[in-house]
Amino acid sequence: MTVALDVHPEHTHRWIDAARPDDPAAAHPSLIDTRHVTGELFGFVNIPMAVWIDETGTIVRNAESASIERSPLRDMEVPDGIPERMRTMLTEVKAIPDHADQYRAAIVDWAENGSDSPYALTPDDVIARSQPRDDATARATACFELGRHLRATLDDDGDAAAIRWWKEAHRLDPSNWTYKRQAWTLATTAPDAEENDLVQEAGEVYGTSWIDDVLAGGGGAHYTLEPDL
Amino acid sequence: MILTTLERVDAAAFAEGTGWEPKPEGLCRGEVCVPAPGSLRDDGTVDVERAAERLGMPIVHDAEHGVWAIGPGTSTGRVLSTATAPDPELIDRDGNPFKLSSLHGRKVLLVAWSSY
Repeated sequence: MTVALDVHPEHTHRWIDAARPDDPAAAHPSLIDTRHVTGELFGFVNIPMAVWIDETGTIVRNAESASIERSPLRDMEVPDGIPERMRTMLTEVKAIPDHADQYRAAIVDWAENGSDSPYALTPDDVIARSQPRDDATARATACFELGRHLRATLDDDGDAAAIRWWKEAHRLDPSNWTYKRQAWTLATTAPDAEENDLVQEAGEVYGTSWIDDVLAGGGGAHYTLEPDL
Repeated sequence: MILTTLERVDAAAFAEGTGWEPKPEGLCRGEVCVPAPGSLRDDGTVDVERAAERLGMPIVHDAEHGVWAIGPGTSTGRVLSTATAPDPELIDRDGNPFKLSSLHGRKVLLVAWSSY
């Protein structure tokens, strides 16, 4: 099943439709999480990430980066003559680790062998490997939720109220990319745009943008929570 | 969990919002119970500040708009305190509610993604 962490459900529809969740050959529940509650509950801090849940409702693999197909961006040549900032962005994207083949193979192994799969973890291991949570990261979650709530419920100054609390969430938990990317996209995408602005140059609103924070975190090599297979 | 008051919060609402169910023996999630004397009042309401303190849940207050948000618990130092999958209510493309627990009996690969 898929879950889109997106405060605006309508932003997800074209992607959900493209995945054809009703196609009998690939039928799957295709859901939307408008509150990012699955991030809080499972530990999703970026996308794509995944958890594995067995037939009894027990998590057998904690949240980790879940690419199953190598992105063509990893292998693209950075073209000459593009602005330096764009060059930096593409260079860091290419540096993001790729474990797609291994992760996909692990999923297949678990699907076929269940609890006998070496990739299916014990409950103690699942808990121990789950994301650390301290007061700052928990407080960031509360701040994000407060911003989301105010944005959804206030008529006039909802955006301003949300930005204030989302800035605080970003400060408290700089490694949570879903909080950042959600906020940046809403800041830089025109209300009537058909597609999100994925460059996310939201510095004027949030102080930093995607590439600023990727570099601050050590570059693309440290951008994802890689699977420990 | 969003609250407009810290007073008179119903135990069921607290459980729905935080995943921790106030019981006489403590605050419980799955097989884990954290002793929390005084958190569950005789009238079925919760002393939110006491319960949050016991679970290490931060409370953030927006005084201008009269709203509080309770963050997740930190008592275990990990996102997961149990391997029992939580059961958030999500929506499908048409806005219909969907419970993760409806998939019990099947393996679930839960993949998070976004449009941004």
